[in-house]
Amino acid sequence: MSRRRLIASLLAGGAVAATAPFLAGSVSAEESGPTTTAPPHRDAADNAALNAALDRESRMAATYAAAVAKTSGDDKAALLLIHDHHVAYAQALKGYLATDANPASSQPLAAPAASIAAIAQQMASLEEETVAIHTNSLASLRGINAAMLVASIITVEARHVAALNIVGGTSPIAAA
Amino acid sequence: MTHNNPSFVSRRAALRTGGAIVAGGAVLAACGGSSDAGTIARIGSVPEIEKLETEHVSDVALLRTAMSVEKMVATMLTDGRMTSLAESNVQPFLSKYASAHETNMAVIAPLVTARGGQTVAEPNAKLMTSYGNNALELVEAGKTPGDVLNLMLGLESLAAATYQYFVSLTNEAALRADMMRLGASSSRRAAVAAQLIRGGTKGFVPGLNEKGEELTATLPTAFGALNAVQVFIGPLNDIGTRSPLSMETPSLNSILY
Repeated sequence: MSRRRLIASLLAGGAVAATAPFLAGSVSAEESGPTTTAPPHRDAADNAALNAALDRESRMAATYAAAVAKTSGDDKAALLLIHDHHVAYAQALKGYLATDANPASSQPLAAPAASIAAIAQQMASLEEETVAIHTNSLASLRGINAAMLVASIITVEARHVAALNIVGGTSPIAAA
Repeated sequence: MTHNNPSFVSRRAALRTGGAIVAGGAVLAACGGSSDAGTIARIGSVPEIEKLETEHVSDVALLRTAMSVEKMVATMLTDGRMTSLAESNVQPFLSKYASAHETNMAVIAPLVTARGGQTVAEPNAKLMTSYGNNALELVEAGKTPGDVLNLMLGLESLAAATYQYFVSLTNEAALRADMMRLGASSSRRAAVAAQLIRGGTKGFVPGLNEKGEELTATLPTAFGALNAVQVFIGPLNDIGTRSPLSMETPSLNSILY
């Protein structure tokens, strides 16, 4: 073996020996790691469902605004509180979507009825529909952050349903 | 005039030294065993530390934990200390709520078995030790019928928050929706319990009483909260108030893996 070849093979062998432990370490780390794929934090595929949710919340807020105008006292304060909740949901969804947010409709979903009991019944029904829309969309949302936001909305809208049903004349035991 | 500046290190010497360094490096790298990589050499005898098994919060683990929470709530609602103290108009709610939680367990069970898991029939032991038993003892000691409603409200809020929290940990999107259907039903029951404590549209809005204490509100927050649920139950202390009992959603140490 020539002197030049001896030096070349010595260098190559040294390099292989030096990197071997690192290569072995990375293989064992892959073997011991989790096998499931974590859901993404955010996914553009969710934008259509989230824009639909934004539109629904915007229209719910508009409906409550019309109902608030027809009430007074504690009833007005209660409806205004729920109106503000829906405004907060629309703002949160819009903030999440940012530049991907579509212009939301401000068309009310219904004309408010005459008495507080009738208004509460009407709004309980709309809240029920909204909870169903959000829960169904949750089944297809890929991004975990969007899912968490929608879940936090569902939790309180379900409360809206029960509370409004009671004010609307449903017995508490039936509303539970 | 040209000045030839001869090198002090000959080419032969440089190659020899370089080769020796590379060979030495190779020997040292080979000596560093893979099992001890990254550890510091120690002198003396040190016992081997057995590593804890890594557990992953899988969807099955979350479903099993949800079953244990449902069972805990059902067990607490039907506990003699609650039923004996409840007023007659509250008794039907205790029965209906407990029955709903038993039904939820039946809804979750096939979701667990379909994913190769084992169903759970016992209350979450860690949560019972953490606050469940304490809550029941406080209700018994307080002898106040209103505490039954306060604890009912707290337990339903806790169940709803548990499902909402689990959404952030669940991998399967469809399962998140299934969980939130159960969570929403608990949310409704919480709202009804709150209305039984402070009814009408007046009860929707948070407020304070004449002593400055927070009143029960049917709609206390705009978004579902994930912080500890606080319930004010038990005997009054020396200054005529109750200390809050915090009830937390399941965490890594109370999840059933």
